Amino acid sequence: MVIVVLVAAAQLTGFFIVAHLHRAGAVTEMQKQLDRAADQLIRVVARRNDDLARGASALAFDDGLRGALASTRDRATLRSALNSFQGRVDAGLVALLSLDGELLAETRAAGAEFSGYRVLQQRADQSESARSTGYALVDGALYSLVAVPLQAPDIVAWIVVGFRLDAGFVATLKRETGVDIALEANGESLAATPSKGTDFEIVHRRLGLLQGSAVDVVLRYSRDEKLAPAREMERLLWVVFAGSVLVAALIAVAISRGVSEPVRTLAGFTQRIAVGDYAARVALARSDELGQLADSFNVMAAGLEERDRIRDLLEKNVSPEVAAQLLRDGGALGGEEREVTILFADLRGFTALSETQSPRELLALLNRYLEAMSAEIEARGGVIDKFIGDAIMALFGAPLGQEAAADRALNAAVGMREALERLNRTLATEGRPPLAFGIGINTARVVAGNIGSKRRLNYSVIGDGVNVASRLQSLTRVADYDATIITSHATVAALRAPNPFTLRPLGTAAVKGRQEPVTIYAL
Amino acid sequence: MRSHAGWLTLILLAAGAAHAAGTDLQIRVEDQKHDPVGDGVVWLVPLDRPAAPASAPPTRVEIEQRGQEFSPLVTVVRVGTTVQLPNRDNVEHHVYSQSQAKKFEFPLYAPGRAESVVFDRPGVVALGCNIHDWMLAYVVVVDTPWYSRTDAAGHGMIAGVPPGRYRAEVWHRRLASSVQREIEIETASTPLAFTLALKPDRRIRRPASIERGGYR
Repeated sequence: MVIVVLVAAAQLTGFFIVAHLHRAGAVTEMQKQLDRAADQLIRVVARRNDDLARGASALAFDDGLRGALASTRDRATLRSALNSFQGRVDAGLVALLSLDGELLAETRAAGAEFSGYRVLQQRADQSESARSTGYALVDGALYSLVAVPLQAPDIVAWIVVGFRLDAGFVATLKRETGVDIALEANGESLAATPSKGTDFEIVHRRLGLLQGSAVDVVLRYSRDEKLAPAREMERLLWVVFAGSVLVAALIAVAISRGVSEPVRTLAGFTQRIAVGDYAARVALARSDELGQLADSFNVMAAGLEERDRIRDLLEKNVSPEVAAQLLRDGGALGGEEREVTILFADLRGFTALSETQSPRELLALLNRYLEAMSAEIEARGGVIDKFIGDAIMALFGAPLGQEAAADRALNAAVGMREALERLNRTLATEGRPPLAFGIGINTARVVAGNIGSKRRLNYSVIGDGVNVASRLQSLTRVADYDATIITSHATVAALRAPNPFTLRPLGTAAVKGRQEPVTIYAL
Repeated sequence: MRSHAGWLTLILLAAGAAHAAGTDLQIRVEDQKHDPVGDGVVWLVPLDRPAAPASAPPTRVEIEQRGQEFSPLVTVVRVGTTVQLPNRDNVEHHVYSQSQAKKFEFPLYAPGRAESVVFDRPGVVALGCNIHDWMLAYVVVVDTPWYSRTDAAGHGMIAGVPPGRYRAEVWHRRLASSVQREIEIETASTPLAFTLALKPDRRIRRPASIERGGYR
């Protein structure tokens, strides 16, 4: 849509600029043409004056006219001579003046006395060329007049010849210039070419008269006529404009179909991903960038799904806390020293049991036992570090620091003992022999972190304290102690006060690999 | 020009001889720009005496046609003088005058012929040729023995003018009308000077082709 508007705006701007320039050009051209026509009018008149003057001068030597003038002052005779003269030079009027400027005769039969002849004659008499020209209104008509001398061989009189700037004259001029011409004096039309149209480009020229005011030459050019090509071009531009807007609209629709909809599809897809629907896949059968993007999205979704699956597996295989930390920090659980309470639980007589049970039954039994124990440990915030065959190693206070880790461990041990009693009751109903275990608990500062090769890592703890916990568990086998749960003094010392547990001191025990004996308690 | 000046001298000498008793009046004519004016004609009309004494006309006055020109351009004669108009050209001419002082016409007369005209009335007569528009000559006819035509330097002289009052008149072809002045001639007279307001020279120009030899 924006594209359509932009294209329309650009087109409109271009259109108006071109149209304006074109019109301005046409108007300038018209003005020039009008000026040229005005100049031509003046030139044509001058040329005509010249022709007339030459003709008159030639005839001024005419023997007949000279003879008539020499022999008579009779007006009628002189006028008849002038009429003959008029015909020969094709003049609108001819007048004969004495050297003093007195009108001797003229071809006009009637009309008011015209004093312009004398003005013209005096100008001619003063001029080097013995000739003068001028415009004059005679009997309401515009004439261009020329005065030339009548020589016999001296100047004996003056001849004034004139031609009328009439409708025929302006019509001729229009044929040559294509411009409408009107001659006006005092707002009255003297001669004009018939012109069509109402909208005109107009140029005014003034023709000064021998006497009085001036004649207004109005040169007009019909704008309608002159601007017709410009208008034609504008129409063409409109068509181009409409066409290009239409094309832009079609392109916009195509782009919307080709881009907007896939983008919307992809956006919907990302929203599904955002809410965790990693199984979602986007299907765009395209080979362009959007298609590549969709493929990338699918790969991403597959990756997310894979990660989700891995997290799921991880949570099943390692404790959720470790899984979370692994996923958060990647595989690089750096080694760190922290205080951890380690719990070892080992099943008694499992080897003997394995001789009487089928492997499948044995494994099912083991899993029931481990499941029940794991539940107790995890219920108290413990983390199953690993299953070592039928043994369980659990951590409290790692990988995340925990409050009252020692309390939690002892509570878990108590819970495990109760859980085992419940399991044994169930096993009894099933006709199976009861199970027994021993638990050793120790609290110590150990090194925690990912242990293993690059390809296989295990989060675990290592250190002397771990061995102690394992040894304490082994001590439960000592019949003298008569204890299923043995904990070290370090754990007891870590308990929060008041201590809710019933602890029976068992004195000290030497622990293998450790020089100092460990003070132990039975729970 | 030299031969015309000779004729003029002859005329002046003839006039001067008749009135050797009077003053020799020096004349100078100039235009509005103080340039000397040649071909100006000055004559004196006595105001104290009713008429000027008659004098014998010169033996021969002529205006010839040669090279499709009249020569001289300006001639002054007393009333009653006969002027010869010899055609010394190689073409025919049609000499005419429509001037009021003397109207005449000699249609097409061949080289070698010499028509003559008696100028019996005072006035200025313009001579033309109906064939050759540019051909022009003036005959100034005066009714007095005291006249002069200025030379190219604008100088002229009227010899033997008796003392007394005169109307001095000057004519030039570029004057609208003749200029007059009343003067007193003493025994030792001061020169007579005229300053004229001349009009543009309106003489018809001869087509260049004719000057080059009469063909195109």
